[in-house]
Amino acid sequence: MQVALKSPSRPNLPLYASVARLGFRRQFAYPQAALWGLITNLFFGVLRIAVLVALFGSTPQVAGYTVQDAITYTGLTQAFIMALSLFGWTDFMRTIHRGEVAPDLLRPHNLLAFWAAQDAGRAVGQFVLRGLPMLALFASIWGATFPAGLNGWLLTVLSLLLAWACGFAFRFLVNCAAFWSPDAVGIGRFAWAVLGLGSGFLMPLAFFPQWFQGVLAFTPFPSMMNTTVEIWLGVRTGPEAWVGLAVQLGWALLLLGVAAFVLSRGLRRLEVAGG
Amino acid sequence: MARPELSPSLPEKEGVAASALYYLRLYYLLLRAQARSQAVYRVSFALDALGSAFITLAEFAAFVLVLPRFGSLSGWTLGEVSLLYGLAELAFVLMDLAFGGFDAPNLSQHVRSGSFNTFLLRPAPLRLQIFGSDFALRRVTRVVLAAGILAYGVMASGVIWTPEAALLLAGSVLGMVAFFGGLSVIGGTLTFWTVESVEAMNVLTYGGRTLISYPMDIYGQFLRKTFTYLIPAAFLSYFPVLHVLGRPLPDGLPMLAAYLSPLVGPLMLAAAFAFWRVGVRHYGGTGT
Repeated sequence: MQVALKSPSRPNLPLYASVARLGFRRQFAYPQAALWGLITNLFFGVLRIAVLVALFGSTPQVAGYTVQDAITYTGLTQAFIMALSLFGWTDFMRTIHRGEVAPDLLRPHNLLAFWAAQDAGRAVGQFVLRGLPMLALFASIWGATFPAGLNGWLLTVLSLLLAWACGFAFRFLVNCAAFWSPDAVGIGRFAWAVLGLGSGFLMPLAFFPQWFQGVLAFTPFPSMMNTTVEIWLGVRTGPEAWVGLAVQLGWALLLLGVAAFVLSRGLRRLEVAGG
Repeated sequence: MARPELSPSLPEKEGVAASALYYLRLYYLLLRAQARSQAVYRVSFALDALGSAFITLAEFAAFVLVLPRFGSLSGWTLGEVSLLYGLAELAFVLMDLAFGGFDAPNLSQHVRSGSFNTFLLRPAPLRLQIFGSDFALRRVTRVVLAAGILAYGVMASGVIWTPEAALLLAGSVLGMVAFFGGLSVIGGTLTFWTVESVEAMNVLTYGGRTLISYPMDIYGQFLRKTFTYLIPAAFLSYFPVLHVLGRPLPDGLPMLAAYLSPLVGPLMLAAAFAFWRVGVRHYGGTGT
């Protein structure tokens, strides 16, 4: 589909800001569902801690992780499930399949930036709603630790933002499959499973065998969460942390570029039936 | 009220066996119709089928990949954990296949839209129709994967396999299917009253599945006792596997406790169906 409207030369920042704000506010519509989600995440957190603690046994440290680090890792990953959409995200592909993408295209904005703004708002909302309470619970029940000092916090926050950017670009790319295939949901299932394994959600990547870590190092998946967790824990500090951030930034820019390119190709072949 | 005539005539005179056969055939027809419709879009079906197994595969692979770094899971080898993991996954996916119709998201849609009325109007047993209302054929790949993990466990755990041990594990799967089926029925029944508390059931079903995928002594005394005496999940697969491996049961429980899975599961299911009948009586349609 060709869009005749000329895009404004300068990005309309107030527009994206209000899109993000609305995305943020929408997350608070169903507090009861959020509460149950929190309880479910907490229960699974308990089970995952038990498995990790049992694996450690009496070993004090494995691959730079202490038992306490493993517990904090569990709390972090459970806290990030919703904010970083680790179980998948199909909002954009739904608008393609249903044709709702057409009115979105008529609006005077960049579609990728529009979705990025909306997802940023959604992510912050979910982090406040589900992430912060989870971290508070893990800190008070199991003594989960926090980044060390101002420098630690700064690196962690930067890394978390980049992790969101990498993850968003990847999820958006997967959703773009809907331009070519009616089975994008099925394709997504593979993508979310790979995301779970590669981003360090299922197990800390440092615990994997060297060869598997080597394979993952060539992919953007560790940048979508594992790097942030390692910086938070202090497993990765100093220059190593900065290298991690640089890699994250590189992947974020590359993935966003690819997403923009694939989106433009997809829009070219998009056909929406009227009605 | 007199029952309307069905074209393949209802076996009213032929007795219990014939009517059971008739209902079995009806169930088969319901499943076949759905299997056929799902197989129409082949690529879509293949993707869905592989994708749903891939999630379990990734989860198990993560465990398999990290285990060598630690040696064992508090004394349990990969083969031994595979027994538990395979049993739990096999039972859970078989339950998903059989009880899909009672799954809360599926049932709540019928309740909210009022299409549940159609089930009540048809001249066939209600539960039979629900059992046959959501059969996701794509899950067969998960059955294969679960059977593979279980087979690895059987081979690698170093147990001497006797007919008794095989029977014990078969009973364990049967008990688990009934137990989780019961939870699913309860979750579905709740949708007659509310759609919101359904997520609470996820803790029990999916949480329960994950819980029994690993040896239960790793969860600490409190959780283990809760899931032994309050919610009898430990009887389903943990005790049978302990017995097969020749290990003593916790709390000095007698060996008999290892054989209770085929009893605990059906009891749960019976209680769930009692609750189901209350729910159906409560259901009043949408008024449209």
